[in-house]
Amino acid sequence: MKIGVVRFPGTNCDRDVFKWLEDQGHKPQWLWHEDLFSANEVEGLAVPGGFSFGDYLRSGAVAARSRVMQSVKEVADSGKPVIGICNGFQILCEAGLLPGALIPNESGLFIDDWAELENPSTKISIKLPVAHGDGRFFIHEDERKKLWDNNQVWWQYKNSLNGSIDKIAGVTNKAGNVKGLMPHPERAYRDWMGGVDGWKFWI
Amino acid sequence: MEILDLTAEVQAKLKKYRLRESEYELMKSLLKRDPRSIEWALFSALWSEHCSYKSSKVHLKKFAWKHPRVLTSEGENAGVVDLGEGERIAFKMESHNHPSFIEPFHGAATGVGGILRDIFTMGARPIALSDYLCFGAPEAPRMKMLMKQVVKGISYYGNCVGVPTVSGATYSMPEYNQNILVNAFALGLFEGDRKVTVSGAQGVGNYVVYVGAKTGSDGVHGASMASEAFSEDMESKRPTVQIGDPFFEKLLIEACLEILDQKLVVAMQDMGAAGLTSSSFEMASKGQVGLKLHLDRVPLRDSRLGPEEILLSESQERMLLICEPSKLNAIQEIFHKWGLESTHIGEVVKSREVELLWNGEVLTKIDPDLLVENAPMYQRPYSALKIKNNYKYQDQTLAKDSKKWIYRQYDQRVGLRTVQEAGHPVALVRLDSGRMISIALGCRPWLMKQDPVVGAYDTIFEPAIKMVCAGAWPVAITDCLNFGNPEKPEIMSEFVASVEAIAHSAKLWDAPVISGNVSFYNETEGRSIPSTPATGVVGLKQKNSPLVKDYFTAENLNVALIGLDEPQNFNPEETLKSAKSLFELIEKGSAFGARLVTEKGLNHSLELMKQANFECNIISSGDLNCLYQVIVVYDPKDPKIETEIKSAFKNFAILGKTQKMKSNFDFSPLTIQFAKTWGVS
Repeated sequence: MKIGVVRFPGTNCDRDVFKWLEDQGHKPQWLWHEDLFSANEVEGLAVPGGFSFGDYLRSGAVAARSRVMQSVKEVADSGKPVIGICNGFQILCEAGLLPGALIPNESGLFIDDWAELENPSTKISIKLPVAHGDGRFFIHEDERKKLWDNNQVWWQYKNSLNGSIDKIAGVTNKAGNVKGLMPHPERAYRDWMGGVDGWKFWI
Repeated sequence: MEILDLTAEVQAKLKKYRLRESEYELMKSLLKRDPRSIEWALFSALWSEHCSYKSSKVHLKKFAWKHPRVLTSEGENAGVVDLGEGERIAFKMESHNHPSFIEPFHGAATGVGGILRDIFTMGARPIALSDYLCFGAPEAPRMKMLMKQVVKGISYYGNCVGVPTVSGATYSMPEYNQNILVNAFALGLFEGDRKVTVSGAQGVGNYVVYVGAKTGSDGVHGASMASEAFSEDMESKRPTVQIGDPFFEKLLIEACLEILDQKLVVAMQDMGAAGLTSSSFEMASKGQVGLKLHLDRVPLRDSRLGPEEILLSESQERMLLICEPSKLNAIQEIFHKWGLESTHIGEVVKSREVELLWNGEVLTKIDPDLLVENAPMYQRPYSALKIKNNYKYQDQTLAKDSKKWIYRQYDQRVGLRTVQEAGHPVALVRLDSGRMISIALGCRPWLMKQDPVVGAYDTIFEPAIKMVCAGAWPVAITDCLNFGNPEKPEIMSEFVASVEAIAHSAKLWDAPVISGNVSFYNETEGRSIPSTPATGVVGLKQKNSPLVKDYFTAENLNVALIGLDEPQNFNPEETLKSAKSLFELIEKGSAFGARLVTEKGLNHSLELMKQANFECNIISSGDLNCLYQVIVVYDPKDPKIETEIKSAFKNFAILGKTQKMKSNFDFSPLTIQFAKTWGVS
């Protein structure tokens, strides 16, 4: 599939996500934060992690308001698959494409580790690396209920990691085509990486 | 009367610029006149210990060694090693001790930023970071705060810039109570056929271009501050510490690598210690050309800055480059795309002089070699030291505890190359050829204190043996020599002995010293740190080299302990021979696991080997009391293997057999002590 990989100044998992997609037989192509594009040009989108614009305001807040996001919204509305990983997840939440918000970890410290995850509906469990400072998922009580009612909880940490509500690690939009998660599937798709659960993880 | 006045004025200048009377005499004789106002600042910066290596240079020559693997000449920002198969790497290690003690968060962060710039200035993309840290006792004043803030600073900078921190070494001893050590290591890879960038300015008429962050007043006089011992007025030195911006650095990396890929650059140099002064004078001196620099064109964060501050500012994330005039537009476009400024501030000129201008007025015109090549060189008094062979394992505070609290704050996997991260004795970073680079940092301060010569050998032997256990062999070395006041003969003696031991070890292991850094005057109120020659040893693991784990991977395997040296009788040649035998054993696939026992003791190492839920059923405690003893795990079904091991290693003891653990391995007891000691959770 032709997958656009969105880059902001400060994105630092861009090359990793590009390679991850390429190695799985997709055709990734770069999209720059200042550029608009038509939804017809891609079959899907990936928003990689990093520290977009330094994350000096709120993680993902500046990136969510940059020009390219108009096109990202178009793709999301068209029903094509969109994934946000780590900072990409934060950006999609800030842009209103995914529910909730990511706030600083409960410990106040950056966390790099492997985390066991479970999908609440399929009960499939996987292990992926995490690396984030602002990974604590937060959502208002009434919204939280809707999230569960609509099957929008994608992944939960098996053990509490960063203080997320309901140990939530990843969510989807109501339609299910836009997904976001804090763990890094692109860092676990070869044996030598320590795990392969990131292989064919998304599309 | 007049002479007296002049002397008082000169005395005041000498004090302000941290220069000596003899150095003033040398300045006058080189210039054939009295130095002009701005020249004082230039000499102060470039003749500081930090920039000139004036106390160490005569000894550092012992590292000079033409090795077929090494691609750079002496004096470049970092050494470059050709690994074959089209893969080249650059790496270096640098100290940021003084700033980190004054302002730990930014001191440590900018230490990381500075070492990264040394790497991408060469044209290599940074792919791995590591840190060597020495703290005081946890109960010492400020110490818990220093530890937390240093780790936070490293985490802040490395994570944001997107380079994984894959390994490290951390010690805690009361001797560092008033002078902690923060040494940062970075390694980069030359992608594709990108050339190694030179730093010598070339081509009369070419432009001098300033790129990156604007200049502020941070870090003015930083280099000469770092060349001084601490006194009580630490607070007054806070303004000499720089502030780092990792986001800016990330943009700078991408922009610089892009202009290098498009071959738009003639030469490039980062602005590190002594900022614009050292970068411009060194580029001119190395290129044997002159430069004309309009200081008033330098982009400023604070318009009140004058030429002297501009010359000495150590604002971070700035580079100086030389390009052909026709390439300026293309360079500016790329920098603009990344949201960065690039400013044409001068030209390369024919006359061998650096001319500094301020709004059209010539401030000075001076031969760069006077400052760079003719810096004073001191042969400080010392005496030769010998191996005492008087050492014993000494547990120090941090060694008892797992340092997971530290490395859990570092992104260890960004870049998709990490095979083995900071939780292992040695880091493994994958290259595109499928081979792996191994990284381990050396220097055990408790050993340096007991026996400085054995301790100095150990700075290479310990990390090298750790990588042998993982099936890698050292290819090159960098060092960061942290010492006290070189004017004291007992310190200088340990410095010289360390340089000689490291140079000798490098020859023995066939791994040249390709880059390094010296940090003197690590003392406070007359009390020096233990001599701490930290090293970064980089090795290579071949593609077909068998996987050897540092833990137990199955049940019913034999576990034995082998000694690579004789107890209390360290002999570098003999130990190397044993290390070679161990390497052969591992290369052949005879060992499933191998782990070097550290100062934490045999039991601690065996405990850590339980991580895959297998343990050793110990039948004999068998400690050999060697400095280097390795736990090896092998197949009992092939009796030849044990015979082979026994014949290769005189010091051999059976420990037991592996078995499945009854309950899952619990790492948390190892982390509790650390949390308690340092007041963290």
